[in-house]
Amino acid sequence: MNAPFSSYLASIADCMKAVIHGLAPMYDYVSILSTDTTGWSIRIGQRARSVSNNTMTTERGNVIRVCRDGLYGEYAFNTFDPSDPDAIVRRADQALSAQLALLKATRTAAYTTPVLPDESCTLFVEFPCTSLPETADQGELISRMTRLSDLGMEKGNSLVDCRVSFQSTHVSKMFLSENRDLRQSYVFSEGSVIPIAVQNGKSAYTHLSVAEREGPDLFSQLEGKLEEALQVVQDVMDAGRVVPGEYEIITMPEITGLIAHEAFGHGVEMDMFVKNRALGSSYIGKRVASDLVTMHEGASCAVNVTSFAFDDEGTLAGDVTEIDHGILRSGICDALAALRLGTQPTGNGKRQNFEHKVYTRMTNTLFDSGTSTLDEMIASVRHGYLLKGVQSGMEDPKHWGIQCLIERGYEIRDGKLTGKVVSPLIMTGYVPDLLGNISMVSGDREVFGSGGCGKGYKEFVKVADGGPCLKTLALLG
Amino acid sequence: MTPYLLSELASCDAWEITETRTEGWEFYFIRHQLDQHRVREVTHTDLTVYTKSSDGKYLGSASCEIQETASEDEVRSAVSMLKSQASLVRNPFFELRTPMEIQADNASLPDIQTMAGDFIRTMQTVKETEDADINSYEIFVNLRTRHYMNSSGIDLTETFPDSMIEVIVNAREGEHEIELYRNYTSGTCDPETLRRELEDTLRFGRDRLHTVPTPALEKTDLVLSTSAALEVYNYFISRMNVSMKYQRISDWEIGQTVTGSPLTITALRTLNNSSGNHAFDREGAPVRDLDIIRDGKACAYFGSKQFSDYLGLTGTFTPGNFRAEGGTADEDELRSGDCLEVVEFSDFQIDPMTGDIAGEIRLGYLHRGGSVQIVSGGSVSGSMLESGLSFSSALRQYDTRLIPSLTRLSGIHVTGFEAH
Repeated sequence: MNAPFSSYLASIADCMKAVIHGLAPMYDYVSILSTDTTGWSIRIGQRARSVSNNTMTTERGNVIRVCRDGLYGEYAFNTFDPSDPDAIVRRADQALSAQLALLKATRTAAYTTPVLPDESCTLFVEFPCTSLPETADQGELISRMTRLSDLGMEKGNSLVDCRVSFQSTHVSKMFLSENRDLRQSYVFSEGSVIPIAVQNGKSAYTHLSVAEREGPDLFSQLEGKLEEALQVVQDVMDAGRVVPGEYEIITMPEITGLIAHEAFGHGVEMDMFVKNRALGSSYIGKRVASDLVTMHEGASCAVNVTSFAFDDEGTLAGDVTEIDHGILRSGICDALAALRLGTQPTGNGKRQNFEHKVYTRMTNTLFDSGTSTLDEMIASVRHGYLLKGVQSGMEDPKHWGIQCLIERGYEIRDGKLTGKVVSPLIMTGYVPDLLGNISMVSGDREVFGSGGCGKGYKEFVKVADGGPCLKTLALLG
Repeated sequence: MTPYLLSELASCDAWEITETRTEGWEFYFIRHQLDQHRVREVTHTDLTVYTKSSDGKYLGSASCEIQETASEDEVRSAVSMLKSQASLVRNPFFELRTPMEIQADNASLPDIQTMAGDFIRTMQTVKETEDADINSYEIFVNLRTRHYMNSSGIDLTETFPDSMIEVIVNAREGEHEIELYRNYTSGTCDPETLRRELEDTLRFGRDRLHTVPTPALEKTDLVLSTSAALEVYNYFISRMNVSMKYQRISDWEIGQTVTGSPLTITALRTLNNSSGNHAFDREGAPVRDLDIIRDGKACAYFGSKQFSDYLGLTGTFTPGNFRAEGGTADEDELRSGDCLEVVEFSDFQIDPMTGDIAGEIRLGYLHRGGSVQIVSGGSVSGSMLESGLSFSSALRQYDTRLIPSLTRLSGIHVTGFEAH
């Protein structure tokens, strides 16, 4: 089956086209993004349970983008009468004009940006899926989630709770301008099993997740994660502290994805180039990683939670080769930053929701596979750690620093896992060193889409990342 | 609010509605030139419906947003769906909050033009120099009206401002340029405080040009003098939340010593220019001043009615502001001896569940043997369960938190560049 496009958006399309028509005489450019994203989230624990029809990305609303005399403005709204587009035109123009009056009063100078091209394009995409959130049997799902939580409590050691969360989202977006009519819909689902243990005053927990551009059927994959989650939380509870220092490390695919995201995902978001906030702008065509490293970014280079047909500015999805055998080839770019930089947009203009501004954002950020096996990689390590489990990360594009909070490290000595576990770990380093020291890359690859991503400390969007196992050097603390 | 909603809710066992109308203005600057401007005029109506089990032992809930454009049929269908979903959720029974006297806030409200204009003018007057200046900034000002109603008869409305400004600062020497990131939230613009904060940041930026790699230190004392210190006090605050207590994540008992330091944390009804000044919380409970930790001992939980009922607690609420105090040392005393004062992290975190401490150092001042070295790189790690805590008597405000201006944690591991 396909994820059906929102009948609500279809019903307001004529109104939005009339708004564009009404604003067009006053502005050099007009477009509207309308969204109708529905979904639900269920959380089951031993002590509390909840059902909500909201997820991180549910929304319904509209944002008008206009340009006059080189200055871009936006008006976001969600209350309107579809039979009265003229009222929307008046409200938007009055609101933006009030801001311009303040800018004049404060003698604020503005940049002049070229007018966005508006090449003719019509697109209607309903991505395939095996089930839909709106037709899921939530009663049965709650029973299965409850059984999974109960089973975790039965099998786990010192658990105070075993939480199970699952959510499914149905995205519908419509981008309209004078010459473009783009409509898309897709579903994605995510789930986590989170055992929490308390022993002798010490707490430990983990979260094992699944996420795909699929419907609620995905839950069956989460049921298979329980045993591993229980082992992980015991490993974390029994773990010691790493002796701070530089080590040989092997990153499992989820850590590889975190590095891809923090190191060269944020580092080549080209809206940062416009502000001179990223070192990457001066490294195009230069070596930034070992010859074993090739990295791709784009909504169409993998199928996961953010694999769409067009972005929030009406640019079609892309697949950019950011790093090719260690050489930085290209960044990713939203449409307005592309105009400023004299380049082409890459389909990476994303909003947190209709109320938020577009920034250059990641979609799928992935290292390419290599040829080694994980066993060969472990056998090559004299003293180091096999790193598993993502907690969080933070970018630093201006200085190419990297911070990754990692759940656990499994010690390797003389080519063998010793059974000793350390947790948590903070991995830091200088990005070109970290990537330049990559000496082995495994032949497999995984993609992870269960997390969200902020720009600085705001603007949270869905992203996916991943890759194979990597062997390199890093500071661990 | 859609006109059909209240009549549809008559058939529900219990319900809550929060309607929030927001008028938001946003301005995006590169250097001091405007890049884009935005207006938001939005309304969100969040509905929670409760369904009681037939034996009265359980109360389930389900929630959704009722769209402002929803038809009568869509509203009816949404309420019906929520009733059905709520019947699938089996939480122990509890009562919603009931009406109580709320002390209205009579402070006059600014208009959005004034709020935005104050930020723009303040940013135009920050003292920059050739070697340290502002790269870019984003201004967000909102006027929000929150209307809360529930089936027990609470019907409250308040209007309040909130603001945020994100600022990127550069400092340079020749070809070498660095940046620092700041994100300030507040009620409205406080020009004097914002200017002072930014001028401090510009000074930090100049210092960052002259750093050496952080050496490996084994264990040392970590001094926090910027917003990273919020993590320390938020760790204590979160562990006094009834949700953490009921779900057995926090094992802190009333009367238990939770820190060897004379720390007192108080929930505050109002704090100067805070974005968290609310007369009532998200469930309609009146907000008041209340000590939650006094002289290092746990003394009162706070939080939702649901988890409060389960713990047998009455009179709880969810505060918007907190003050942490009780230190006796001045800043010079706290900086004395060997220590690492970090003023800029990539992202400093203390896990409220485990107490684990972690952060990458972007700018620090290493005090050793009477001299001070400016350092960057490497990381700090440790645990609140093992670290000793001391803090200054002087306080400093970060929007909804008034905390000691200087905080010192002992026994912190520092991973540096000489360890290997």
